Amino acid sequence: MANRCSALAAYYPTGLHGRPGEPGVKLQEIPDLNLWQIAGWPDTMELIHLAITDGMNADRLTAGQALAGPKGVAFQVEPLKFWLLAEAPPVFKEAHGVILDLSHSRTQIRISGPEAQTCLSRLLPLDLRDHSFPQNAVASSGIHHVGITLWRSELGFELFIPRGFARSIWELLLETAEQFGSEVI
Amino acid sequence: MNTRRLPTGGQINRAKPLAFEWDGKPLAGYEGDSLASALLASGETILGRSFKYHRPRGLMSAGVEESGAIVTIGTGARRDANVKATSQALYDGLVAKGQNAWPSVRNDFGAVNSLFGRFFSAGFYYKTFMGLPPFEWGEGTGAWMWYEKIIRKAAGMGTASREADPDAYEHANGYCDILVVGSGPAGRSAALSAAQSGCDVVLVEQDFALGGESLSRVEEADTLTKELAALRDAGVRLMENTTAFGLYDGSVAGLLERVTDHLSAPTQWMPRQRFWTMRSRFTVIASGALERHLAFGNNDRPGIMTANAAKIYLNRYGILAGENIVIATNNDSAYLTASSLSNAGAPVTLLDSREQVLSSSQAGAQSAGVDVQHGMSILNAKGSKGVYSIDLAEKSSDGWRAKNQMACDLLLVSGGWSPVVNLLSHRGIKPVWDSVNGCFIAPDHHEPIAMAGSAAGIWDHADCVQSGEKAAAHAIAHLQGQHSQIPNQSGGWETPIEALYEISVSGRQYKSFVDPQHDVTADDIRLAHQEGFVSVEHLKRYTTLGMATDQGKMGNVIGLALMAEALGKEIPEVGTTTFRPPYTPISIGALKGRNVGSHFRPLRRTPLHDWNLDVGGTMTMAGLWHRPWYFAQPGEGIGEAYVRETETVRRTVGVCDVTSLGKIAVQGPDATEFLNRVYTNPFAKLAVGKARYGIMLRDDGFVMDDGTTWRLAENDYFMTTTTAHAAKVMTFLEELLQTRWQDLRVHLTSVSEQWAGIAVAGPQSREVITECAADARKVTDSALPFMGVVETTLQGNIPARIARISFSGERAFEIYTPSDYGPAAMDMIWSAARVRKGCLYGLEALGALRIEKGHVTGAELDGRVTIEDAGLGRMASDKKSYIGSVLKNRPELLKDDRPRLVGIFPKDRREIFNAGSILCQNDNVSGYGNGWVTAVTHSPALGHWIGLGFIEGGHSNWADRDVVCADPLRKGNTPVEIVSPHMFDPSGERMYG
Repeated sequence: MANRCSALAAYYPTGLHGRPGEPGVKLQEIPDLNLWQIAGWPDTMELIHLAITDGMNADRLTAGQALAGPKGVAFQVEPLKFWLLAEAPPVFKEAHGVILDLSHSRTQIRISGPEAQTCLSRLLPLDLRDHSFPQNAVASSGIHHVGITLWRSELGFELFIPRGFARSIWELLLETAEQFGSEVI
Repeated sequence: MNTRRLPTGGQINRAKPLAFEWDGKPLAGYEGDSLASALLASGETILGRSFKYHRPRGLMSAGVEESGAIVTIGTGARRDANVKATSQALYDGLVAKGQNAWPSVRNDFGAVNSLFGRFFSAGFYYKTFMGLPPFEWGEGTGAWMWYEKIIRKAAGMGTASREADPDAYEHANGYCDILVVGSGPAGRSAALSAAQSGCDVVLVEQDFALGGESLSRVEEADTLTKELAALRDAGVRLMENTTAFGLYDGSVAGLLERVTDHLSAPTQWMPRQRFWTMRSRFTVIASGALERHLAFGNNDRPGIMTANAAKIYLNRYGILAGENIVIATNNDSAYLTASSLSNAGAPVTLLDSREQVLSSSQAGAQSAGVDVQHGMSILNAKGSKGVYSIDLAEKSSDGWRAKNQMACDLLLVSGGWSPVVNLLSHRGIKPVWDSVNGCFIAPDHHEPIAMAGSAAGIWDHADCVQSGEKAAAHAIAHLQGQHSQIPNQSGGWETPIEALYEISVSGRQYKSFVDPQHDVTADDIRLAHQEGFVSVEHLKRYTTLGMATDQGKMGNVIGLALMAEALGKEIPEVGTTTFRPPYTPISIGALKGRNVGSHFRPLRRTPLHDWNLDVGGTMTMAGLWHRPWYFAQPGEGIGEAYVRETETVRRTVGVCDVTSLGKIAVQGPDATEFLNRVYTNPFAKLAVGKARYGIMLRDDGFVMDDGTTWRLAENDYFMTTTTAHAAKVMTFLEELLQTRWQDLRVHLTSVSEQWAGIAVAGPQSREVITECAADARKVTDSALPFMGVVETTLQGNIPARIARISFSGERAFEIYTPSDYGPAAMDMIWSAARVRKGCLYGLEALGALRIEKGHVTGAELDGRVTIEDAGLGRMASDKKSYIGSVLKNRPELLKDDRPRLVGIFPKDRREIFNAGSILCQNDNVSGYGNGWVTAVTHSPALGHWIGLGFIEGGHSNWADRDVVCADPLRKGNTPVEIVSPHMFDPSGERMYG
């Protein structure tokens, strides 16, 4: 099997950058993304929901809130569409909805560290304060006119950028993070 | 003006001296100084030249309203013009110089303008230089175009550096419950009250030090420190050096944070300035009030400033600005200033226009040794580069009469106070005139905004603190959904302020400035009235009152008062001009943030971007995408490269990155019905494993886009669009589903980023595909015929979907692999093509190939073209209804003489012509002609230049007629021949074969 080639492969400067000292922001690409889009119909959403949350040890998927479980992480991206970060898509009847593999359509970048929130606020018009955007919060927004999806995992802010724009946004992130001291992992 | 730094006092750090340079002269100040205070302490009193008359100007204030000390700081690429010295923090190594003067602000040849000052009245330049006799005799602007350059050079402000800005800027987004603007007593009390009630509060202060008015109140020095600590403890986010420059819909405030402007050695990683979009739920405006000048003779001389400014220089910076001081006032506030200055050791005379004041104010001043004179004011200041004496004026029954002279070296003026209501005004709320307090204040309104402190016209210190607390309570109630009101609390003078704007005596003519920054005088206002201007907005534009960088902070109210007097009206009847953002100037750099250089717009890279560059591709913009333009071999330019690439594709095989084509997944049980409704041609019977070329119309019947759609499974389609229209098509199709056809079970998803696209075109393309496919049987001629589709894998187990479709007119395939596998797939395909003497080809060759075939693209489908115009009428079904099917049949769109797609040859095959030219009959090259040229190329297949375009009636209408390709701005006329758009292999043998 051929290896997957990241959108950031040609520019991934690992190590410390910018302000000396302990890095305030850590940046890391999460490679080999497995992303499935599951879309249902108004009268089948309940069944789709059950199929996605099966094995998640959680009750409901609600807008703006991710569910994480052993099978993966799911969140709603449109009224009738969910994204699932998992090795394999859920199983349900064809009449209930449709599945689409989007694994290569997005680049996932994790932003963590004590200044991650501040760093992102330089680029994102989202209220990322802890009480407004707690762990597992999900939002769609834009960086430099590019539509992105943001999920706050227990490890940091997970940014999903359309692959073609990933390098451009990555450069902006690196440039912005320098003032906080950054580390590319 | 004899200034001196006092041995003690002020909020400066005397343990930390700072060196700086003024007009080449090394000087020193202290940490905590502004540039203005450091210059004042150094005895520098002439700091600028006026806009029009080049009159010497000194400090007029101590804040953002400054109209005299406007200077240039920095050198080289970091030269920054029109900086108010009063707002600039001093730092070690700061370099400043005067502007709008030659050779210097102290001795400026431009001052000769003053001799002709009486001619330079409002409208002078336009009246004089437009329609200039005898050249234009009262009409035309030709001479003005010439004179304007000279006039602009003579007038104006400083000049910006022409070098590229080396600094970085950035945008930021902030959120809070309550935004408090201003860190004075009212702002601090509002912020503390709100924060202690659990609100998330941001407090912004435009100054480089927090404290506002408290910084110049000696008695508050200790309490200020404690209060700021309390604010931090309460969780208030304090932002000094940050100006709230505008207030917008939805409680959005624009903030400008000057991150490093006050630092001598900023770290390279910090942006110079930060442009904040602050979203709060409520705004408390505690932005203070600005002290007004008075209009009297030569009121702009160095040595004349506001009374409050002198107090700030004394109490904040430890500077006594004069040795013999006169203060002219009409209100109580100057008494405290007079006492402070007198206590600091200067003799002070206070001229109060009011006949009487309450005893406490007077007693306080007199006990400090101030000579208080009532019913007195100032008529004229004497001196050129400073003040040495003044002419006094005494109140009389019919106004003022001239009195004796008085010596002084510092003249302070307090003509009342104007609350800073600008931010509220940005919300479209007109301030109202408060005649008791002689100022504009906020009216009742329903915005989530509260005014506090002197911004609400409250003058007493304790009342200001209390108003901050009330504003916080009001804000909290608002956040809790409760209704509350803050009653008007303006006032606080012991003795009412007296309306006083100008002091003049008949028979004496002086230059009396209303707006010193633009050299607008009281006479200019009266002249405007004489010339028929009655609207305050017209007055502003005619005289330029309030149009300089201070936006009327210093002179607007005086101008309005004079206009009201001339009109015989009251100020409220005249009204006020509208304050608009920004409150103070914003650098262009801050507006652009990081969106500059390579980030001016986001660059969209295909998965093969770096691969293309690695093999020598030259890229070109295609919307936000970068696409390979051509792949030059040694010695080749674009002209040779694309011709070679085109020839190679026709001869053997070519490989091209076509990832930028739009790609949309169409899924669901009604996907077929949906496609049948949006495409002009039938899709209902498209078999699984087949692709079909389709045309999409807009509602109005014009062509929107074209592309192929592949049926992958019963309910699963893969649609491709042009690169240019991908987003437009996606948006339109979503709109159809969400608004018109909600009953259809169809999901659309853009998969443009999911798939890397590679076109393989040419007679040997199948051999290349066969070599790369994991199972060669799946790509045989029978398994994959023309318009066939197969989902398979390439060598290396790379998933791929392949269709045999052609844009070039050759046997060709489009291969799509998941994006991350793009480079690996391209390596394999290129290896297979290279051994067959194939080539990589770019956008230029792609264009040549499609022009030869007469295939349309975005250049032709420009929104004016019907399906018939494009020569694709046979694809318009008459057996079904689809988007645009009704309106495409409007009579106007069915006319035979509409411009139709044609091919174009030069009559002389050695000639060339340009895209964008118009097509005209040989003997009638005029107007819009009979058609236009959309695309041109050299055709290797035909051996000469060819083009595509549109001409009335199509090519059959122009057979044997003389046509020229008219290009009057570039090449001139080229005789051409109109031919069929299918210029190469019209029967398609190469494509189908």
